[in-house]
Amino acid sequence: MMRHLPVIIVLLPLFTAIMTPLLPKRKELIFILSMIALSFMLGLAVISFMDVNQSGLFTYVFGNYAPNIGIEFKIDGLIAFLVVFIVFLAWVITLYSFKSIQKEIKEHQVSAYYSLVMLMLFSVMGMLYTNDLFNMYVFMEILSITSTAIISIQHRKENFLASFRYLMLSSIGSLTILLGLAFLYMVSGQLNMDAMRVLMPSIWVLYPTNVVLAVGFILSGFAIKSAMFPLHVWLPDAYTYAPNSSSAYLASFVGKVYMVSMIKFMFRVIGVDIIEALNIDNFILIMAALGMILGSIFAIGQKDIKRLLAYSSVAQVGYVFMGLGLLSEAGLAAAVFHIVSHALMKSALFLSAGSMMYVTGKRRLNQFDGIGFRMPITMVIFAIAAAGMVGIPGVSGFMSKIYLGLALIGDRHPIYLSLILLSSFLNAIYFMPILISAFLKESPEQKNQLQKDPLPKTMVISMVFLAIAMLVVGYFPQTIMHIIEAAVGLYF
Amino acid sequence: MIMIETLLKYTNYLGAMALFIIGLYTVLTHNNLLKRVIGINIMETSVFLFFVSIGMVAQGQAPILKISDELVIYINPLPSALILTGIVVAVSITAYSLSLIVQLYREYKTMDMDQMLNAKDEASS
Repeated sequence: MMRHLPVIIVLLPLFTAIMTPLLPKRKELIFILSMIALSFMLGLAVISFMDVNQSGLFTYVFGNYAPNIGIEFKIDGLIAFLVVFIVFLAWVITLYSFKSIQKEIKEHQVSAYYSLVMLMLFSVMGMLYTNDLFNMYVFMEILSITSTAIISIQHRKENFLASFRYLMLSSIGSLTILLGLAFLYMVSGQLNMDAMRVLMPSIWVLYPTNVVLAVGFILSGFAIKSAMFPLHVWLPDAYTYAPNSSSAYLASFVGKVYMVSMIKFMFRVIGVDIIEALNIDNFILIMAALGMILGSIFAIGQKDIKRLLAYSSVAQVGYVFMGLGLLSEAGLAAAVFHIVSHALMKSALFLSAGSMMYVTGKRRLNQFDGIGFRMPITMVIFAIAAAGMVGIPGVSGFMSKIYLGLALIGDRHPIYLSLILLSSFLNAIYFMPILISAFLKESPEQKNQLQKDPLPKTMVISMVFLAIAMLVVGYFPQTIMHIIEAAVGLYF
Repeated sequence: MIMIETLLKYTNYLGAMALFIIGLYTVLTHNNLLKRVIGINIMETSVFLFFVSIGMVAQGQAPILKISDELVIYINPLPSALILTGIVVAVSITAYSLSLIVQLYREYKTMDMDQMLNAKDEASS
């Protein structure tokens, strides 16, 4: 029974997505159905994670086909952990989205929105679990259509333009990945990741050109999709104009799933030796460092709060890639830890920014004077997450910077360590003015008196959940780091 | 002479690569949205051509089982099967992007990306 859990976790959101449009169009009913499905997924994911921890990794073959013909799922500690984490995030953001999305999209589209979100989760789970390269491509295309569709569901012209640009770039990304897969399939005749890994050393000796082309195409495709620095052009518009809960979905786990797939491709298919021999790690490190610095510099000049957070995402993607580019166990563990802590912080930031826009209807940074008194809980959560971004001890962001710094020192790259410090200062430069104007300035409309947040309870509860998670990860990082370190060891 | 032979031998691969580059160039340089979608389609076609060409086996036949004693060489059917899935994906991407273009044209009354971006800047400033 335990062996079937991953399949149920993948199929449950698909089933919900199909059921949602069939139900009567009462939005409470649809919301409750999605929440029930997500709660079930969360429970099953936790059980499956405990099972994997106890009895080790296992593979699941579909329809009794041999793995080299059919589709195979492979569930190891890292994937099982990330599934639990992503389902938790989806649960929290969906709880938030119920009230916030009603204000942003037309009423008859609410059911379509939840249907799209569930389809997106289906493809995310599939991408995490799958052990077959072509299957990964198919899930990736479902993900790119659904993640653009949750931007364009809000009928404004900016949304259409942003999602069109996102769709074009992410199609280019998927097609380069598919071409790379063709180059690998050409010489190996396999699409299964494990089978490919076994053949890889001999392929590398016999057909080095194919391997170089495939790695180049596939990694640049993933770099487009996860918004690595020079290829991030779609990201600011997409995150800025998307409905608030969609921005949180996109920033917290959609971008991260592509990074996890990239980790799977680099470490489980190609192997560290070949990546090192091709000298790709240096390119990744340089681009990551550039992204860390320039993303923060772009963020400083922004006037729109969500655009600022979007550029800050570009910078944070750089941290993850820096850990990846080290190609060491400590580096990979730091990268995964940063995936987790950044997903928590950025979704908390997007949700609290969304709450500010929900109450005031404004999005310019200079319009938030004194808002810390009107919405104390929201702004305290925003402040915690911003402190995490800057790297104040006690919040998860600090620990991910420590781990990344230790990995960099272990790998003798002290220059990049100074760049991390510089990037943290730049983060402080653009987050501190928001906090200062929120808590210390007088609002032009009313006096600074402490009030209760004029927000629906679901929105407050979901933000508080994220804040607690951030602080728990910040104070007890070892609990998560032990899981990640144990799981990452299998990738080398 | 050898060069021509090589060219003839690898026509499919060369054609696929040429189409890929034409498609990529079209997507990245043209401002007209419809041309961008066409560019994506050309890229998709090139990858499909490449994938199907990989499955080709010299003197191979279509993989339909014949009950006879003689040995028959079949081509590899797996790439063709994969590409059927790929075509479905390509159609859905095209359909979605065309519907976005319709909406964009209704809002902006133009098909040109630059004019849309200019209109957006004027609105925000």
